[in-house]
Amino acid sequence: MSTNLDVGNVLDARRQHDSSLAREKRAGRPLYVPIVLLLVLAALPALQLIGGYNYVLHLALYTMMYVAMASSWNILGGYTGYVSLGHNVFFCIGGYFSGMLLAYFGVSTILTAPFAGLAAAVIGFGIGLVTLRMRGPTFIISSIALLMVARILFDNWHFVGGANGITLPQLSLDARWMKIPYYYAFLVIAAVTVYTSYRIKHSKFGLGLRAISQDEVKAESAGIDTRFYKAFAFAISAFFVGMAGAVWGEYLTYIRPNIYLVILVAANMVLMCILGGKGTVAGPIVGTVLLVLFNEFFVATMGASELNIMGTGIIMMLALLYFPNGIVGTLAQKRRLPRFLDWD
Amino acid sequence: MPELLEVSDVVAGYGRGPAILNGISLTVRPGQVQCIIGPNGAGKSTLMKAIAGLLPVRSGEIRFGGERIDGLRPDQILRKGICFVPQERALFPKMTVRENLRMGGYTLRDEALLERRTEAVLEQFPILRERAHQHAGTMSGGQQQMLAMARTLIVEPQIVMLDEPSLGLAPQIVQQMFEIMHMLRNRGMTILLVEQNAIAGLKHSDWGTVLDLGRTLFEGPAPEVLVDPRIQELYLGRSAAAAA
Amino acid sequence: MIDILQVLVLGLALGGVYALMASGLTLIFGVMRIVNLAHPIMILTGAFVSYWLFTLYGIDPILSMPVAALVLFVIGLVLYKLVFAREAASAKYSEMTVLLTFALAMSFDGLLGALFSNTQRVTTPSYGTQAIFLGDLFIPTAQLYAGIASFVIIGGLMLFLRYTRFGYAIRATTQNRAAAQLMGVNVEFVSLVTFGIGLALAGAAGSLVSFIFSFFPAKHWEWIAILMSLVVLGGMGKLMGTIVAALLLSVIAAFVGTYAGSTWSTMTFFLALFVMLLVRPQGLFGDRIEEA
Ligand SMILES: Nc1ncnc2c1ncn2[C@@H]1O[C@H](COP(=O)(O)OP(=O)(O)OP(=O)(O)O)[C@@H](O)[C@H]1O
Ligand SMILES: [Mg+2]
Repeated sequence: MSTNLDVGNVLDARRQHDSSLAREKRAGRPLYVPIVLLLVLAALPALQLIGGYNYVLHLALYTMMYVAMASSWNILGGYTGYVSLGHNVFFCIGGYFSGMLLAYFGVSTILTAPFAGLAAAVIGFGIGLVTLRMRGPTFIISSIALLMVARILFDNWHFVGGANGITLPQLSLDARWMKIPYYYAFLVIAAVTVYTSYRIKHSKFGLGLRAISQDEVKAESAGIDTRFYKAFAFAISAFFVGMAGAVWGEYLTYIRPNIYLVILVAANMVLMCILGGKGTVAGPIVGTVLLVLFNEFFVATMGASELNIMGTGIIMMLALLYFPNGIVGTLAQKRRLPRFLDWD
Repeated sequence: MPELLEVSDVVAGYGRGPAILNGISLTVRPGQVQCIIGPNGAGKSTLMKAIAGLLPVRSGEIRFGGERIDGLRPDQILRKGICFVPQERALFPKMTVRENLRMGGYTLRDEALLERRTEAVLEQFPILRERAHQHAGTMSGGQQQMLAMARTLIVEPQIVMLDEPSLGLAPQIVQQMFEIMHMLRNRGMTILLVEQNAIAGLKHSDWGTVLDLGRTLFEGPAPEVLVDPRIQELYLGRSAAAAA
Repeated sequence: MIDILQVLVLGLALGGVYALMASGLTLIFGVMRIVNLAHPIMILTGAFVSYWLFTLYGIDPILSMPVAALVLFVIGLVLYKLVFAREAASAKYSEMTVLLTFALAMSFDGLLGALFSNTQRVTTPSYGTQAIFLGDLFIPTAQLYAGIASFVIIGGLMLFLRYTRFGYAIRATTQNRAAAQLMGVNVEFVSLVTFGIGLALAGAAGSLVSFIFSFFPAKHWEWIAILMSLVVLGGMGKLMGTIVAALLLSVIAAFVGTYAGSTWSTMTFFLALFVMLLVRPQGLFGDRIEEA
């Protein structure tokens, strides 16, 4: 076979071939969607004026908390590619930090939550410097070990009540309004987390993180201080989880290792991101809503907590096998992603 | 001359990624050394992986002695008589030289035959005999390449595919590689060679094929390909003006 | 002096069981780069097999070891075909398998919990409460038997890997998967069978576990971190390394448990893991960091 060979043609063809491998990017984002969503959520407690909708508020609050946690996890697990299965350690640290302040000095966790987040971030930065030296599976293993260490420590730390934990004072509010302060606290935390996640994704820092997740060696040789970037991402991602933990304790009226340091909490964060789309801005939100609805359905129909664990596991497996890019990721790949979900 | 290996209109790529081979066709005649050249990323290694069964073929077909082999597993293709020495040499770093040779004959179920051939190879390559009990991972690049090529002798395949055997080797070692290659050919094996150093590769070959963008662009007797001005300009790094 | 010897012997016996528990894990990681977080729950599945065979039919757990191994071997083949075979081509494979096996562990945890509830159980063969005295040395018979059984199985495994054709194929696939394929090893088949063998080892370990520990489904989370520490310390996928790590750490943990309290003995494994990550990330016996 001897094709007619013309130098110009070959070079042209090569250029075309190269550009066909690249993809163009859509522009323009419908800002009104998040604004409307925020307004609706802000107005939701008004339901209490017309009746007892505590259950609805609880569900919304719980969802917003996990939106914050999953989005926060996503900064490390999605953007940077370091999957942590022990991220609830920071949930716990935040919870105990603010919980102890509340128990001893009576300061509301809503006020101290940012400091709880900071504490979690500082500890996260330190832990990150050690564990982020490992890539891939070893990092994941170290994150599970971290969870186990934390569990042993908190179970045996008498000052914070050991395995029994500590009971926290309740607000002296009518049951009807009881949830409102926490509701707004979680609304703010979730909104700030998602906004931060969005800003990071579109920053130079975020670009660096994504470079690390693609190929860490190349990222390093491109002049990115990968060690600092990773540890910083770890700290940010611990920060919001810590804040969520702070308010969650007061909302439940107690802090105890077995509400914070159970693997199901970590699994939820991971699963929400995977279901919605790891590494996308909107993914964790979509995933959280789906999983919360699923859990409610499951508990309502089956009740038993063991079956709930099994169901969560099976869904996670199916999602990983058949839907590894999640809803947002898969739709984006097929270019079917509605614009209101496209924040990447 | 009958064709030994026939690649027709093969399209292949990695995972769900874009096609790297875009309908490539190629024939390999028995008893020759056939050299494939092309720029980095042209798909030379990809072609060899597709033939060896390491990469699924999306469309087109590959025939060996008239029989279709695309879709077979690598171990089945090896049993048919095609042996592939990849760019990375494919040694077992924590096994000794001898164990590596014996792994080369994994498909031989006859223990006595395997032992005989292993001995014969060690006879032929005194350097390997000397290091028979050394771990392969601790040998120099040239020795590793020698081991990888010598290992093909154990299965006595009909075709040996060599992907850049000279990669990272000093010039006099490169010369040695080509000698081993000719030795394989004199044993009756057909050689399909990929060389980054196109001039050296073509000089040691009977037939040259130019590959780019996942297609065969041009082929002919190696000496002719070597002096073709278009090839020179595109791939051998000399300008058209200089060649003219 | 006798105290130290006493703790040492108990640590070694327990270490043998841990080594057996981790050996399947290491084998599976070596050949397939699957970090099998579901390994501990599979061990518990084996423990339940022996537990029920003993409770219902009075079959000694050491005798029912082959049954547990066989059950788990079959589960392994099915799981590999259903879950892992199709993932092998994906780029982030190793990381993906961690999440997959994590999910698998949750599913089995929930399933076993729903079937048998999370109450503590233990198999009670007659030797479960006996002890042997060698001079002043006191060795619980159950631990002695479990340790011996573990060493026998591990020894058999090593001979199998060293001297059989299939063992060669497993080692070749571990060292260089692509190369093994080019030598004519059907690596898919090797992976399938190795996964089965790995889980069979878990099943056998489970039989032993059933009479030396009290167990319940949710216990596997604790073991995940312990066994994974051993695998990391041993150098990811290095069988010998894992065995040495298991013996070493069990002995250390036994001393920590004796002199500082049993709560902190588990901690030994995790602390060892973090110390190792700090000073020698490739593990005690690893020569380079494995990446997915
Ligand atoms: N494992 C892989 N996964 C995805 N893409 C790959 C893989 N290996 C190679 N490619 C892509 O396939 C294309 C052709 O690669 P190939 O290795 O076949 O080139 P080559 O001609 O052998 O080049 P070289 O001379 O550099 O060895 C390149 O664009 C490369 O990026
Ligand atoms: Mg190549």
